[in-house]
Amino acid sequence: MTSRRDFLSASGAVLMGAAMVSRVQAASLPEAVTQSDPATMPPLLPSNGRPYNPVVTLNGWSLPWRMKNGWKEFHLVAEPVVREIAPGMKANLWGYNGQSPGPTIEVVEGDKVRIFVTNKLPEHTSVHWHGQILPNGMDGVSGLTQPAIQPGKTFVYEFVARHPGTFMYHPHADEMAQMAMGMMGFWVTHPKNPGFMPVDRDFVFLLNAYDVEPGSYTPKINTMLDFNLWTFNSRAFPGIDPLVVRKGDRVRIRAGNLTMTNHPLHLHGLNFEVTGTDGGWVPKSARWPEVTTDIAVGQMRAIEFVADAPGDWAFHCHKSHHTMNAMGHSVPTMIGVDHKGIAEKITKLVPDYMVMGDKGGSMGDMEMPIPDNTLPMMTGQGQFGPIEMGGMFTVVKVREGLARNDYKDPGWYHQPPGTRAYEWTGEMPAAASAPVKPDATSAAPSGAAQPVFNIKRGGVHEH
Amino acid sequence: MSSYSFMRRTVLGVALTLLLGGCATFSKDGGFDSVAQIAEARLGKTVRPVRSSDDARAIDASIKNLLAKPLTADDAVQIALLNNRGLQAGYAELGIAEADLVQAGRLHNPGFDFKHITQGADTIIERTFTMSLVNLIMLPQASRLEQQRFEAVKLQVANQVLRLAADTRKAYFEAVAAQQSVLYAKQVNAAAEAGAELGNRMARVGNWSKLEQDREQVFYADATAAVARAEKESVMAREKLTRLLGLWGDETQFQLPERLPDLPARPLQVKDAEAFAINNRLDIQAARQQTASLASSLGLTRTTRFINVLDLGYVRNTDSGLPRATGYELSLEIPIFDWGSARVARAEAIYMQSVNHLAETAVNARSAVRESYLGYRSAYDLARHYRDNIVPLRKQISDENLLRYNGMLISVFELLADAREQVLSVNGYINALKDYWVAQTDLSAALGGNLPANLSNKE
Ligand SMILES: [Cu+2]
Repeated sequence: MTSRRDFLSASGAVLMGAAMVSRVQAASLPEAVTQSDPATMPPLLPSNGRPYNPVVTLNGWSLPWRMKNGWKEFHLVAEPVVREIAPGMKANLWGYNGQSPGPTIEVVEGDKVRIFVTNKLPEHTSVHWHGQILPNGMDGVSGLTQPAIQPGKTFVYEFVARHPGTFMYHPHADEMAQMAMGMMGFWVTHPKNPGFMPVDRDFVFLLNAYDVEPGSYTPKINTMLDFNLWTFNSRAFPGIDPLVVRKGDRVRIRAGNLTMTNHPLHLHGLNFEVTGTDGGWVPKSARWPEVTTDIAVGQMRAIEFVADAPGDWAFHCHKSHHTMNAMGHSVPTMIGVDHKGIAEKITKLVPDYMVMGDKGGSMGDMEMPIPDNTLPMMTGQGQFGPIEMGGMFTVVKVREGLARNDYKDPGWYHQPPGTRAYEWTGEMPAAASAPVKPDATSAAPSGAAQPVFNIKRGGVHEH
Repeated sequence: MSSYSFMRRTVLGVALTLLLGGCATFSKDGGFDSVAQIAEARLGKTVRPVRSSDDARAIDASIKNLLAKPLTADDAVQIALLNNRGLQAGYAELGIAEADLVQAGRLHNPGFDFKHITQGADTIIERTFTMSLVNLIMLPQASRLEQQRFEAVKLQVANQVLRLAADTRKAYFEAVAAQQSVLYAKQVNAAAEAGAELGNRMARVGNWSKLEQDREQVFYADATAAVARAEKESVMAREKLTRLLGLWGDETQFQLPERLPDLPARPLQVKDAEAFAINNRLDIQAARQQTASLASSLGLTRTTRFINVLDLGYVRNTDSGLPRATGYELSLEIPIFDWGSARVARAEAIYMQSVNHLAETAVNARSAVRESYLGYRSAYDLARHYRDNIVPLRKQISDENLLRYNGMLISVFELLADAREQVLSVNGYINALKDYWVAQTDLSAALGGNLPANLSNKE
């Protein structure tokens, strides 16, 4: 499926085949490079045009371009794709150039950008360049600023990337369906001066969400808020790559939110500053130190920190349902419910039945068959056991002595002796050890321990 | 009366008695053999009248033997044929008819009249020996009529045997299915009970509201009512069968198998069903026999042509839903006579009445065969649909739901609700299967009590 893997090889050098270049030049349309591997691709170092420090797209890649008469030309192809959300689950999505989200477009402040957009979807589309200040007719709102791009047609967008910063692109035509199907991509406009706010590692990803019925493949596009897959770049933990950084690196993470709710992104072990918003870079004096930054719907944020603390640091959305995969939203709470005698009755009718949830929501490392193409609700193994996380969760791995462009997963962090929480094996005071168990009287103050039918309340309802 | 006439009468009477005496005796089997033959040929079953305590003992022994293990449909039919008192009462009709026949073949006892009159000094003695002349003249005809009636009773009794067999078979399937339905109702109830119990415990620890708890409770209460209803229906079905089997006392503890016989691999393809029915049905045989005997009793002997009574008023029905069977021959030919003179106009009317009655019987029989075959086929298809589609799909849904429960996508209550649905589908199959066996019995009844030999469809 990958047509231009060599392009994105470890060196990061862009090696366009000569034959291919001459062919597409003859056709006057840049090659539409595609990618289907869901892994994080190394940064795409610019081989021509203005120099810049490239970004790393989490579980994604950046789109190569060609220079033509002073224009930086890209070719996006809107098309149906199959995206692996995490190992064991694939989704039928719509995206660009083989993937959803589409490739990151990286340009430099002042670049004249020409983007060819070919529509291979079964319906019309358009591309809106979210956050760009550009001529009205290039804004990509079908009906309002341009006719929609009909299936099979190619449109050209041309504008100057005037402001450095963090942007996105997505359709503004049947966008409810098209964004629910995964039509989106990241856009970075680098500053003209590569020395402006330089960082050692610059990660980008989009926050997106899908509602894929367990056992199915295609998102339910009419879902409004009750999504069951919360993802970074259409990947759910444990399918999300770690953010690997070298100790002492200055790290930037940029995220854009194309879901229908906000996401408080929270980083453990390191504090950061919000250095960029939708409108551009935040002056130093106005930056907020934070460990959690809420990214509202349609917003973009850039945060920065110095990776001064080695370790495996959790980095996740703080809405706890967003660090779960598909789960039943109307499953009743079973905590504390005694199943004695009932489980046997149920097993007679449902032979493979197993009591779950009576001690909490955790399934621990229980391994039971679940529907096809469905991710376990919470999963991922760490060096000390199940991490019990899914969705918008990953790990920032800070390690000493990595090479500058080394993004390879270094494995689990080995904590120095004596720096890990440990089990108390000393004397145990008797009172403190008694487990707290809700009993009938405290948990059901209305006296529900008695047969509930007999409850009579006083007042006007008494006949 | 003179002594001369007395002499004449005596001579004539003796001669007639000698002439007719031979055909007016009781048969050895009392007319039962033909009934037994029909039962044997069509049902493969033994029938036996109870005429002595030996008979009763023998029947008791075979019934005990059959009751020793769970009954099959065939066992049930056999027991009913031996033990049903209504049928035994029907056998008595045979004896009555034969007695009438024998009686009709005998001369009335002659009368002897003796008068001794004293009139003054005169004494008049008058001796009269009388014999019924009418009786004498009508004797051959009465005999023939009683013979016909005897034949008709044989057919009636045979028909009663066939009807009892069919009724028993149907009652048997109903009873087995009803008993199975009780099991399934209990399973549904068990699921509801588990849900209700869990709901109570959830409410007790504060995880559920009274509303949710009540919902599970009421479901359980409904399921309990359904068990009671199923049990009542099962008792009714079993008692109906018990009555047909003629059982009482300890014998009512008979066992039924746990399940209905399986659906046969293929439905019967009855190609020449109508022709088979015309040749096989006892009602048609009876009507044909009546027509034939009318012909002879009306003295219609000279055949001029034949008519096929099935052509009378028969309209081709092409949209009956069944493919038209082709290539079968079906005829029921009856002679039509050259009536000749006005004297036999009345005979003609009577005969034609009988012919039309026969034709009507045949047309109705054909319709009944088509109808019951259609009913049979749709019952088969429905049962197969349940077996091959609905039940496996329900099972698959249950399997998928368990996967969803494992993934904490649905709750145990949905699992229980689904288990109930699955059970109800299986019960739906039981009912469809029962309908199939009932329909098969109806088809065989419409064909005259048995299925064509080449279509034996052992259950
Ligand atoms: Cu979130």
